[in-house]
Amino acid sequence: MSNDNAAPSSSSAAANGSADSAAPRRNSKRPKYSKFTQQELPACKPILTPGWVISAFLLVSVIFVPIGVASLFASRDVVEVVDRYETACIPAQNRTNKVAYIQSSANKICVRTLTVPKRMKAPIYIYYELDNFYQNHRRYVKSRNDMQLRSNSSQDDTSNCKPEDLINGTAIVPCGLIAWSLFNDTYSFSRGNESLNVNKKDISWKSDRDHKFGDNVFPKNFQSGGLKGGGSLNESKPLSEQEDLIVWMRTAALPTFRKLYGRIEVDLNRGDTINVTLGNHYNTYSFNGKKRLVLSTTSWLGGKNDFLGIAYLTVGGLCLFLAVCFIIVYLVKPRRLGDPSYLSWNRSPGGR
Amino acid sequence: MKRYVYINDDESPTQDLYCDNRISNRKYTVWNFLPKNLWEQFSRFMNQYFLLIACLQLWSLITPVNPASTWGPLIFIFAVSASKEAWDDYNRFLSDKKANEKEVWIVKHGLKKPSRAQDVRVGDIVWLRENDEVPCDLVVLGTSDPQGLCYIEGVIECPNPDKDIRRFDANLRLFPPFIDNDVCPLTIKNTVLQSCYLRNTEWACGVAVYTGNETKLGMSRGIPEPKLTAMDAMIDKLTGAIFVFQLVVVVVLGIAGNVWKDTEARKVSLDLVKSLYAKFIDWDVEMFDQETGSSSHAANTAISEDLGQVEYIMTDKTGTLTENKMVFRRCCISGTFYGNESGDALKDVRLQNAVASGSPDVIRFLTVMAICNTVIPVQSKNGNVLYKAQSQDEEALVQAAAKLHMVLFSKSGNLLEIRFNASAIKYEVLDILEFTSDRKRMSVVVRDTRDDKIFLLSKGADEAILPCASAGQQTRTLNEAADQYAQLGLRTLCLAWRELKEDEYQEWSLMFREASSTLVDREWRIAEVCQRLEHDLEVLGVTAIEDRLQDGVPETIEMLRRAGINFWMLTGDKQNTAIQIALSCNFISPEPKGQLLLIDGKTEDEVCRSLERVLLTMRITSSEPKDVAFVVDGWALEIALKNHRKDFTELAILSRTAICCRVTPSQKAQLVELLKSCDYRTLAIGDGGNDVRMIQQADIGVGISGREGLQAARAADYSIGKFRFLKRLILVHGRYSYNRTAFLSQYSFYKSLLICFIQIFFSFISGVSGTSLFNSVSLMAYNVFYTSIPVLVSVLDKDLSEKTVMQHPQILFYCQAGRLLNPSTFAGWFGRSLFHAIVVFIISINAFAYEKSEMEEVAMVALSGCIWLQAFVVIIETNSFTVLQHLAIWGNLIGFYIINWIVSTIPSSGMYTIMFRLCSQPSYWITIFLIVGAGMGPILAIKYFRYTYTPSKINTLQQAERLGGPILSLGNIDPQQRSMEKEVAALSITQPKSRNSVYEPLLSESPSGTRRSFGSAAPFEFFQSQASRLSSSYSRNCKDN
Repeated sequence: MSNDNAAPSSSSAAANGSADSAAPRRNSKRPKYSKFTQQELPACKPILTPGWVISAFLLVSVIFVPIGVASLFASRDVVEVVDRYETACIPAQNRTNKVAYIQSSANKICVRTLTVPKRMKAPIYIYYELDNFYQNHRRYVKSRNDMQLRSNSSQDDTSNCKPEDLINGTAIVPCGLIAWSLFNDTYSFSRGNESLNVNKKDISWKSDRDHKFGDNVFPKNFQSGGLKGGGSLNESKPLSEQEDLIVWMRTAALPTFRKLYGRIEVDLNRGDTINVTLGNHYNTYSFNGKKRLVLSTTSWLGGKNDFLGIAYLTVGGLCLFLAVCFIIVYLVKPRRLGDPSYLSWNRSPGGR
Repeated sequence: MKRYVYINDDESPTQDLYCDNRISNRKYTVWNFLPKNLWEQFSRFMNQYFLLIACLQLWSLITPVNPASTWGPLIFIFAVSASKEAWDDYNRFLSDKKANEKEVWIVKHGLKKPSRAQDVRVGDIVWLRENDEVPCDLVVLGTSDPQGLCYIEGVIECPNPDKDIRRFDANLRLFPPFIDNDVCPLTIKNTVLQSCYLRNTEWACGVAVYTGNETKLGMSRGIPEPKLTAMDAMIDKLTGAIFVFQLVVVVVLGIAGNVWKDTEARKVSLDLVKSLYAKFIDWDVEMFDQETGSSSHAANTAISEDLGQVEYIMTDKTGTLTENKMVFRRCCISGTFYGNESGDALKDVRLQNAVASGSPDVIRFLTVMAICNTVIPVQSKNGNVLYKAQSQDEEALVQAAAKLHMVLFSKSGNLLEIRFNASAIKYEVLDILEFTSDRKRMSVVVRDTRDDKIFLLSKGADEAILPCASAGQQTRTLNEAADQYAQLGLRTLCLAWRELKEDEYQEWSLMFREASSTLVDREWRIAEVCQRLEHDLEVLGVTAIEDRLQDGVPETIEMLRRAGINFWMLTGDKQNTAIQIALSCNFISPEPKGQLLLIDGKTEDEVCRSLERVLLTMRITSSEPKDVAFVVDGWALEIALKNHRKDFTELAILSRTAICCRVTPSQKAQLVELLKSCDYRTLAIGDGGNDVRMIQQADIGVGISGREGLQAARAADYSIGKFRFLKRLILVHGRYSYNRTAFLSQYSFYKSLLICFIQIFFSFISGVSGTSLFNSVSLMAYNVFYTSIPVLVSVLDKDLSEKTVMQHPQILFYCQAGRLLNPSTFAGWFGRSLFHAIVVFIISINAFAYEKSEMEEVAMVALSGCIWLQAFVVIIETNSFTVLQHLAIWGNLIGFYIINWIVSTIPSSGMYTIMFRLCSQPSYWITIFLIVGAGMGPILAIKYFRYTYTPSKINTLQQAERLGGPILSLGNIDPQQRSMEKEVAALSITQPKSRNSVYEPLLSESPSGTRRSFGSAAPFEFFQSQASRLSSSYSRNCKDN
């Protein structure tokens, strides 16, 4: 009884002596061959030969230097008039306490004179530039409500807008810190006796006017609180027409930024004297922010900014320098690629 | 606790007491899936951390980004993990269902009825046909083989279910009591276990004793512990470092970071990539074994890159290095050696003459060969006799005997018949004293039906048989014969016999029966009783069986050793056989290049002294470029592991090669454990059930799906058909996996740090308020789409061709030493991300300054810059471009724009019109090109310079391979070496007299010098490999660098 073991696991045939016949061939289990499964897809295997690398660097420098020169020329072509006025526009006797002055109800009109250094072709863009103004601060950036700006139906939606969300329980439209701190200095220009018309139409993005700011949303309770942050809005105009607000609401990524104020659509000639009548209302004094007025033409690359040109020239030059270095090193100390004597196991068994 | 199984009894209480045969491997049910899976996912520390961050981000006061950007990926990633689990579980459910509904035949009151597998109850009689799968654990009652045995009633008394597949100590009582003895002992040999297949037997029937999840297999099943690769550990460490970094940033700057999401995303992409590595192994045509028709299989998909970091390989010998195809080669009968180098013993005319003339010694020898075994002869239809054997050695012996006209003709019940020439002789088998690895011998007690004499026939290892020889017999010749055969790498067995007196047998038989039916310590009791019979034997002779080396074993070992992998051979065979096999498969180098040190001794003191001496030698020689190996046997090993663990550990670290003979399965596992505890990556390879523990213990377990069944292959992480596939598994798959994971993981860190650094820089110009420059959608898409697709195709990257790697296996060292992923390479990537962040940030805020400094635009410029840089970083780090890579890299770049254009058309999104606006500005494109030029120029310059002037070995090989340098002609030394080896074998056989002289360096003065010496002097010089071996100090010094 105890020996009746079925021995199910192994067996073989004795008579013909071949154990293989017991195990039938199951070739169906053979994996299917394909170039992908065998990791044999045809591949391009480049290596960093001196020829390739040096040509690459030369090529980059050949491309970059002209682009750099072109960018630099574009930037130099732009004529820019900058006038910093935040201190100059405060009467000398008030300069000890600028904040008190700006918060007072005194007449803050100030006249500045600009000289055009070169001929400026229309359109001439008028920007105001603020400095040390952190429009990118986390609490500031979030302090707006896009829904409320877009449509009348959600005008009571003031989430995210604290602390400028409600006044006496009713919603502020537009709510939030960004709108509350709307820039409100004003500029008007004249050349001699001829006043220059400032076109303030279409200074904001069309997409913003059409889709982000509703044409049925009207300002409400705006700047009616105790503390005024900046400019007021005409309550009879819908938000989509409040272009200064729309421009302002496009927050800047940097603490120094320029925003479009308007356009002058006549050419200015070299030596022209421009008188600017300036309403200095905006309080940057409490945080030592600078204010500038900028008149600028534009090029294919944008405003005056030498950075790209200089950077391109630098990178191009550097690449040229590297290419030359590599050529020299290659000539002075040629080195055969893939020399087996660099393999330690081909050199000596013990060390490496 | 015992369980009583009532056979054929419908009213027995067992029907309800024990579970039914429904097997379930499922981890979840429909109801507990969600909570259980979530619980499991959140029991991981990382996930807890992520959850914490995600919850913190719900608090809008402190968070810079929309919580959706945090919760989105989190939920996505959890959903991916959960659905993977669910899918796996569903598949398990399907396979369970299939198994449960399989048709089985149950015998009820003598009638066979079809039933479903899940309805089998304990106590049912199951009837199986050939090639049926066994549905549950059965005690076999009868098979088609010897005789039918039909209707019975009884009870089986057996222990409660456990998972030890080697032990089943039970008793059978029949109703009504039957024969003279009412208790019939049952062992594991009487059972067939669940999931086995019935082969070569027409039918069998058995009683279900364990069913469902209580079967031996079911109990030992279980989800194996997940293995963590060295690389995962390193990545986790680096992640930890990043978290600390992030924490500092959070504390200092108040930015709750974004890095963590990337690490989670990285985990998902790593998982994906790893399963692809595993698929590549499964698909590999070159690792398909024609002979058995089995392809390689990666059961564990998560540890491929560990294959590339293997430092120690522990290999079994029989069936792993050798074919496990036994051929009878030589024998020595009463002092006469039969068989020589020109032919087998079977063809030896002297032996044939001796058989023909009926020499009594030879006849007795052949009788033992034919009878003393558990082989079952089966008459085939054409009159031939087929043998079914569990042991390949026994089969070889029986077949050899048959060729010498001593044919084991039939076995039916206790009666067996052998035919010698024309005469049939019948023997009654009285008892079988089974083979165990402790006893190392087996015996049968038979009664010759002609004269009623009782004989004890024994066979076993020489050290197990010779001490039992009768006092008068000279065993010196036999000893020598065994030695000589072992030296040729043959497996030796001693055959012996003794005539028993009737009363001696009867007395012993009682004790044996009692010992066999104990339920406690049965094995030990039986061994003790057997000892009482096996003495005063007359040793008849020695047989030598050859187990041929598998194809390509020496080359494979040679190559892997050149790759810096240390080999340990753990075998149950005797020392000399092991050493010879080791020599013939390049395992150890012969004198004077190599040196063998023995650790032995009978007592603890001897072992201790021997160990110290070996250790001393090892310390001295470790600085020399010499191959030093130590040899230890199971007994000495046990003492060394128990009492001198520290010394032995040091020895293990110093020695590149070791041979451990006569070791038990648990010792194998202990050795693996020992090396693992020294922080080495171990790979265990074996083919049999005795290797399972070692395979499970090792970092990587490789099973050979060979002749000894699939036990090892099932337990292993990888199963391959032949040993020679190991080199491809390690050098190709392991190495590529390592390289790819190294790139992938560091690249993931790079890209998330890049964004992180930019955010940090931005916070400096936003009043350190923690504003996020990028909007939530972009951040999410950055991780999920833009940066993960190009890197996923890096699984197709190959730094070197397979051929080059095979020619220069030393290159594996870069993986072993972790050269491609360690804190210093990580620092490189860290620096690169910092540099790129500076480039992107400086350029985008300066190029888009003043009137252009609109937040969304600047963010988009910076993001585009990052994406472009990523693409170029992938390009510069990719070694070979296939179509797919091009597609992914450029397609991704195009995809980035398409996605952003689509988002830019949605009026309610913050990015409305932004991308169109940017793309129509020349300044945007000029800025992007500037970023790419400034970001990649220095990277390319540095890479080029290092590549050309301080190339790593990988670079050199790349250059050689792609420029077609002379290097390809190096390294082709294998064929030559093979021919040398054959010569060695021939030489050493022709000079048997000189074999005692050498190859025992340093041991001649040892106190235990009685140990037999072995080896031959001159021929070994031929062995010397032309490729210089790396000394052990080489690999270790490198590791420290």
